This record gives sequence, C-alpha cells and structure tokens, in this order.
Amino acid sequence: MTSMTPAGDYRTSYRADTTIFPTRNSRIALFIGLALLCTAPLLLGRYELSLLINIGFLGIAALGLNILVGFTGQISIGHAAFFGLGAFTSAWLHEHLGIPVMLCIPLAGMVTALIGLVFGAPAARLKGLYLAIATLAAQFILEDFFARARWFTGGVAGRMTESPVLFGFAFDRDETFFYLTLAWVIIMFVAAANLMRSRDGRALVAVRDHYLSAEMMGINLAYYRTLSFGIASLYAGIGGALYAHYLLFVSVEAFNILFSIQFLGMVIIGGLGSVMGSLMGAAFMVMLPEVTQWGADALAGSAIDRALRLGASISFLREMVVGAAIILFLIFEPDGLARRWRLIKAYWKLYPYSH
Amino acid sequence: MKLKHLLLGAVAAMVAALPATAQRIPVGHLMDNSGATSDVGVPYGQGVQDALAWANRTRNGINGRQLDVSGFDYGYAAPRAVSQYQAWTGRQRVVAIQGWGTADTEALVRFVTRDRIPYISASYAATLTDAAGRSGRQGVEASPFNFFYGPSYSDALRAMLQWAAQDWRARGQQGRPKYVHMGANHPYPNSPKEAGETLARELGFDVLPAIQFALTPGDYTAQCLTLRNGGANYAYLGNTAGSNISVLRACQTAGVTVQFMGNVWGMDENAMKAAGTAANGVIFPVRTGAVWGQDAPGMNTVREISRVSDAAGTAYRPVHYLAGICSAMLMVEAMESAAANGGQIASERIREGFYARQNWVPRGFEGVCNPSTFAPDDHRGTLRVGIYRAVVSGNTSAGSVAELVQAGTMKIEPVTTIELDRRRDWLGW
Amino acid sequence: MDFSLLLQLTLNGLIVGALYGVVAMSFVLIYKASQVVNFAQGEFLLVGAWVCWWFLTEWQLPFYAGFLFTLVFMMLFGLVLQVVVLRPLIGEPVISVIMATIGLGIFFQALMKWIFGVFAKPFPPIFAVERVSVMGLEVQTVYLVSLGISLLIMAGFGWFFTASKHGLAMRATAFDQQVAQSLGVSVPKVFAMSWAISAVVSSVAGVVVGVVNGVSSALSFYGIKVFPAVILGGLDSIMGAVLGGVIVGLLENWAHYIDSEWLNWGNMFQIAPFYALVLILLIKPYGLFGTKNIERV
Repeated sequence: MTSMTPAGDYRTSYRADTTIFPTRNSRIALFIGLALLCTAPLLLGRYELSLLINIGFLGIAALGLNILVGFTGQISIGHAAFFGLGAFTSAWLHEHLGIPVMLCIPLAGMVTALIGLVFGAPAARLKGLYLAIATLAAQFILEDFFARARWFTGGVAGRMTESPVLFGFAFDRDETFFYLTLAWVIIMFVAAANLMRSRDGRALVAVRDHYLSAEMMGINLAYYRTLSFGIASLYAGIGGALYAHYLLFVSVEAFNILFSIQFLGMVIIGGLGSVMGSLMGAAFMVMLPEVTQWGADALAGSAIDRALRLGASISFLREMVVGAAIILFLIFEPDGLARRWRLIKAYWKLYPYSH
Repeated sequence: MKLKHLLLGAVAAMVAALPATAQRIPVGHLMDNSGATSDVGVPYGQGVQDALAWANRTRNGINGRQLDVSGFDYGYAAPRAVSQYQAWTGRQRVVAIQGWGTADTEALVRFVTRDRIPYISASYAATLTDAAGRSGRQGVEASPFNFFYGPSYSDALRAMLQWAAQDWRARGQQGRPKYVHMGANHPYPNSPKEAGETLARELGFDVLPAIQFALTPGDYTAQCLTLRNGGANYAYLGNTAGSNISVLRACQTAGVTVQFMGNVWGMDENAMKAAGTAANGVIFPVRTGAVWGQDAPGMNTVREISRVSDAAGTAYRPVHYLAGICSAMLMVEAMESAAANGGQIASERIREGFYARQNWVPRGFEGVCNPSTFAPDDHRGTLRVGIYRAVVSGNTSAGSVAELVQAGTMKIEPVTTIELDRRRDWLGW
Repeated sequence: MDFSLLLQLTLNGLIVGALYGVVAMSFVLIYKASQVVNFAQGEFLLVGAWVCWWFLTEWQLPFYAGFLFTLVFMMLFGLVLQVVVLRPLIGEPVISVIMATIGLGIFFQALMKWIFGVFAKPFPPIFAVERVSVMGLEVQTVYLVSLGISLLIMAGFGWFFTASKHGLAMRATAFDQQVAQSLGVSVPKVFAMSWAISAVVSSVAGVVVGVVNGVSSALSFYGIKVFPAVILGGLDSIMGAVLGGVIVGLLENWAHYIDSEWLNWGNMFQIAPFYALVLILLIKPYGLFGTKNIERV
C-alpha cells in the first residue's frame, strides 16, 4: 500500500518506522480531534450524543470483525451473536455475581473471547464460502440458545440491567456515558493498532495474503485463525457489554441475522483491513438511516413526496437506500471509505500536483 | 456552556411569556409501518393518528391547547426506538408517548420510569400491569408509567379458556378437553403461555406439550400432524398473523379439526382474507365493544375519526384501528384530567389523570371502547374480553376487505363477552 | 412409535424437500457458473411470487399465462441484475460479492414492500382440486405439481448440461474460466445466462410457496433454508443440491417428530438443519457430492 508522504519525511530507525502516526501533524490532528470530542456533551443534544455513543460501541465491534475479515481474511456472518453474547454475559455477571458494571464489561469481553475461540477452532479448518455458511449456522444456533436459555438471557423476555457506576458516580445519562464509550473506543482502537504492528499482527496479515507461504514460513495457520476469532469475539463482547449498559435492556430480538449483516456492511464500507475504516463504516451505517430520515422529512409535503407517494413508505425508502448504498459502494469504492479518505488527504497534501 | 444556558434562558422566557393557549403539547407516537409487525401496525397506528388529529380538530385539543404529535416509524428495531426516545425527551420534551410493540415497550420501560413519562403501549404483556412491582412474580419490575387499553394477553387467553370450557359443555362433550399452546419461542407468544396453561389445568383441561412454530410463514404440516395426533380440542395460536395463516392453511389441508383460538394481533380481517376458508371458525379476542360495521352509540364518532384519513368514507377499518382510537382517547382524557382546574399538563399529572376515573369510557365512544379502571398498583385497565368468531364462507382472493365484508364472504360474529374477576393472584402474569 | 405419523411426516418432508431442492439448485447454478454466492436467493422467490400474484389479480390472467409471463420477467430480471450489479464486481474478493448480494436482498425486500404493501395476500384458487390424498396424507395439489415441475427442471438441467452447447460452455467456464475463454466461450454471456436461469427456477419455487401460504415479505426466509441444503449436498453439485434439499426437508420433519414424541424442546424443527450443517462441515466439509478442493502450491 503506497501512501503519499511529503518530501523530507523519512525514517532512520525501525522503531520510527513502525509508528502509528506517520507525521507529526497527524498526531496533533488526532489529539485536537479527541479534545473536540471531549467537549461534545457540552455542545450537542442527547439525540446527537446517542448517535455518537452508538457509533462508539458499534465501531468497537466492527473493528473486531475487521480484524477477522480484513486482516486475517476470514469471513463471519455471525458477529451479532457474539455481540449479543457479550451483552448478556455482562448483564448476567452483574445481576448474579454482583460484580460492579465497570468490571463486567471487560470480563464479558473475555468470556466472549473464550467462546469465540471455541467456535474458531473448527472454523479454522474451513475456508471461504464454507466458513461463511458455518458462521451463518453459528448465528442461528446461538440465537436459538439465547431464546431458550432463560437462566442466562432471561429467556425471550429479555433482561434488564444497570448503568455503570464508578466510585458512586453513575454513568446513566447520555452525557456521562459518552465519556465512558470514548474511553473504551480509545483503548480498543489503540490496542488494535498496536496489534497490527506487532509480530502477531503481521502473522495475521500473512495468513490473509498467502496462507500457503505463511505456513511454509512457520506460521501456525490454525493457531492464528483461531486467535483471530478470539480477538474478534473479544471486541464484539466489549461492544455488546457497552450496548447492554447503555440501553439498560437486553433482548434476544436485537441480535438477529440482519444485525450481523449490518456489521459486515460497516466493515466493508469502512474499508477492509483498516482500523480507522471500522469507525468510519460504523458511522456510515448509523448515520445513513438518520440522513435518509432527514431527507424524507425535508421532502415531506413537497411535489416529490406526492409523486412517489412517500409519506408512509419512507421507511421502505430508508431500507432501499441502505441496500443501494452498499451495492454502490462496492461497485465504485470497493476499498471502502478509508481509501477514499486517504485519497482526499493525498489530494490536499500534494495540491496542485496531485495528478 | 454559558452561551447555551443563556439561549435556553431566553427561549424559556419567551415561552413563558406566550399565552398558555398557544402552547402545543408534544406527544410522541412510535409505530411500525414497515417492519416485522407492520401488517397489524399500520391500521393501529392509523387509528391513533386519526384519533389525535380528530381530538385536535373537533375537541379543540386539550382545553384549547393543540397536541403536537410526532410520529416515528421505527420498523420494529428496538435501538431505533430508543434513539428516537432520546430525541423526544431531549429536544421536544414529550409529555406522553403512544408506543407499539414488545420490542420498544420493553426496551423503554426503565427509561420512561426514570423520566416519568406515561407510555401507552400496544403491547399487552401482563408484566406491564404490575405497576408497583409488588406482585412477587419473578422478573417483573415496577412499571408505574406503562398503560395500555384492553385486556392483557394473559387475561385474553384466560377469557378464551373460560369460553372454551363453556363451549365444551355446551357441545355436550364428555371427559376432559385437551388444550395446547402453539407459538414461537419469543416474548410475544410466550407472554400468556404460563397463565393459559395454569388456568387450563384449573378448569379441567388436559394440557398437552406446547407446539412451536416460527414467527415467519413456512410449511407447518408437521406441527399440524402433531396437533391432530395429540387429539387436541382447543389450540391457542400465539404468533402474529403471518405465521398463524400458514398454520391455519396447513392444518386445513391436513384435515385437522381443532378449535383454534387466536390472539389479539394474530387474527383480524386482513388475516382472514389472506387465510381464506382456513380461518373459518377461529375465535379471537376483540378489545373493543364493537367492530366496524356493527352498531353502537360510539360508532358515529368512530366513523367521524375514520374520515380524517378517508374522506370518502369507504375504507373498512380493521379491529386494530378501533383499538388504536380507544388507546389514543384514553391518553387525551387523562390529559384533560391533568389540565382540569387550570393545572399543568405535565407527565406526572397525566399519570394521575389515568387514575381519576372508574369504569372509564371516553366521551362519545360508548359501546365501542370498553370501560377501563386503572389503579396505582394495578394497571389492568379492563378485564372484559369480547370473543368473536371469524366466518369465511368463500374465496377471499378477489376484492378488498371492504368488498368481501360487504358481500358477506367474510364476517366477524360476536360470540360472547367474558368479564374476568379481578383476581389479585392474577396480577403481573 | 407412531408409524403412520412418521410415514406422513416423511412424505411431507420429501415433498417440501423437493421445493428446497429447487431453490438450492438455482443457488448452486449461480455458484457453479460464476463463483458468486447469492445471498439474495430468497428475494428471487419473493419477486417471482409477487409478480405472478400481480399478473393473476390485477390483470386477471389465467394461471398458465400469468406463470409464463412471470418466468419471462424473471429471466430479464436475472439478466439485468447480473449485468448491472455483478459484472463490475468480477475479480473482487468473495466477501465483497457476498455483501453486494446481501445489499441486493435488502433493496428488493424493501422495494417489494413499497410496491405491494405489508399485508399477506392470497393467491386466487388455481386448481380445481385443492388437495389430494397420498398414502393417508392430505397434500395440496400445488405441492404435487411442484414435485412434477422439479423433476422436469432436473431432467432439463441434466440434458442442458450434458447435451446442449450452452450448457457445456457453462460447465467449461465453471471448471476453468481462462481455458474456456481461450476456446471462444463468452464468459460474460455465460454468467448472465446462469443468473437468468437461476432467477427463473427460483421464481417457480416462489410461486408454489405463495400459492400455499400466501405472498408476504417473509417469503424470503426460504432463502435461508438454502444454506444447509447446499452444504449438505456440496456447493458445486447440482444433483447434490437437490438431494441436500430433500434431506433438509426430511430432517426437519423427523426432528420435529423426535421432538414432539420424546424431547419436547419445541425448536428442533427450525434448528436441526443448522446443527446438521455444522456437523457435515466438520466431518465432510465439501458435502456429499462436492468436489474436493485440491490445493496447488
């Protein structure tokens, strides 16, 4: 992957080469961006904050899927089941073992990771399509388990849960939960970026690019594929736990095949194999229905509305836009938003010589 | 931050300076017009919408203040409902919400209790009736701000079982009748399962093991054959209309003779049209005192409301439309109670408004809306269940529902009305 | 052990399984010819069912005419889809193509709901005799007709792939695209044809299910049943797909029988095919008839 670096930007040590931020400016930009985000609860309303929180925990789960699909080259159409597993585990741990919620979230992530390893072991033997269909089956089987295991999930009625509490301070409002989500996003994303520049991360990429050569070089395929599943499940579990303690209610209805497909959409639209892309993809999937809704509200009552008989059918339009957006993205921008963002950055960096 | 407070203060001052009569009352309305339950969500949502628009127009809102209804189609995806709720409470500060199904109602229970906003749902789960949370049932939380118009799913099933026991004797049958619960493993069909099976045993039924079938249409011949083999006499169909239709048709083909008992959302005029003669004879509970086409003092008002969205007056309104009207009108009159004597229409006072009346029938809807009585610890509004029978005598594929009913091919016949006892031990499940 | 019930369930399983087999066949056809996994197979059924319903009720056509028009429409539909959406995606990683078909599925689901509404609609009665008794089991006439049609389609496919020029071209393309191209086979044309045929065959299944259960948006869930069937039979074997479908049909009914007689869990009917899928993947990953993927370094 070539990236456009400005003249004079060179490395003199291995350590400098593996840095996450290629230039000083990008580091500064990130810190400024984070500072702006920290002030968001003061400027934005609850609705916008809830959108950002959604992007946060969905982005974490999407990052996990991206590690599995983008970096290791596997496929998983059962990610929503692991997300749900994290949500239910966290709620159960808090209710039955009395563990404080702040600890439940990482614990739930770890439990989900263990179960992901269990699913990953047989999956490591399958490739491509068979793997996709196996994960599809896993999705249905886990969904069925959720519906039947009343001791764990509250059965089909769902389970109520609490907000996280830290030293007596409860994160039960959108404003405060936003900070918690932001903290977790930073932790998980930095962890992923670090993973990718470590030896294990390179091994995962090798497994994706040419598994036969990787195997010949001594990389244990089964180990790394299973590990990849475990990591993806860890991220999904943490995302799910945050979801549970935000919505304060977990129900098996939410973790269906459509949700798994949404995760896949986030990863692909964001860009396979890109850490930043996961967040962008999550933002896209969260904002797309909202933007369509705004568009529909703006059009409501106008001539177009009457001509197309929108009115009540606006939700169908929303779904159609989501489907069409996925297809158009895949046709015109198969490498996702991350690549488009890189191209935009490069254009401005090299202006007016970007041709 | 200061700027935001300054602006808010200015807006508040302006708002306070406005004459009270110009202030509109923000109300939220969640509906499902496109998702999994849209086939029943569309008529119900239409009923609520039309009733509130009519209240604005004809009753001049609440004491002169118009309702500002914000409708949102959440497509039966709970997270979307939650984020819309955040928008409503954050920006518009709604004082009450007309909700819809299990997904949104369950997801928002804690939120509405925390924010103290009355939530009138179309989910009639019995767990919502235990307002104070003191029934001692496992997993039932206090839900003091959840209301609904109509009997709960459990109470409706109990009423049908009582009818079934009467029907068994009336037909001169000997021995113990067999009852079986059919439905998906899902909160909605499972809601009345335990209550139904317990009462069935009490009434002397033999309760067969429940038969599962999914909420999606499919081939359910296997389930029908099991039904026939088990020798069931009365079977409760717990799912929504789509899959119930599949079961009815499959069982008709397989030659199963069972008295099917539907649920409130599982059988209506549209389902009758889709199932055709397979739906003939199915009994189901009706929440209102009358169905479209029947005569009652309140039907004139209902027809007026129907003309809000159907100026020609030719549309046929399914049972859910009327239930939606009653649900909306309960909220309107609760608001009127809150506003009485110059009071503020705040969400807390609206809740009090629900308790203000006994045997409450909204003005102008006599004979249509059944009397409701809410108490702070018992949100079972009505224990009266109207039992109707679907009668389909011919091919239903041609013509709209209105035409079929006109031609007499499809009919909904009243069978009886069961008034359950307000048993303390039946609260919450 | 209730043998008569078991027999009836077996019969039901065979009949319904033939239908699953038809859908699985069309899925495998696309995969074999163009290496694309079509997650929108269920939506093909849905579109076919709605279009046929529309012809029969809005235009009052007799069934045979409406059905024929539906087939023609679906052929064009499949062709257009392949040309517009799938052709630009040739060469992309398999995950992208899967996602594109998923996007198609979402799009068409919503489109059907927009055009035809959310209420289930019944088909007008088509056959003079609604049901027939076979060995004690009452079966809908349409199912038996569909059984006949499935056998015809299978025979047609068999002839097509062994004796006709286009069928052989398709097999050649599936085996090795480069070589087929060098021998003058127009690969894009082959792809387009495979999609067209698949759409037509799926619509047959869609119409049958629509006649039995009424047409509603949930028809596309039949597309999910395809996956256990093709895995069981092998992803690139059409014969295997049919057998896989039949096995899934039988499995469902037998699982339900075992469940209702002894287990009383309630969910075996839906979930047994997926457990079987996972089992088969563990034991025989290429299915009963799939070709083993020999890896060349």
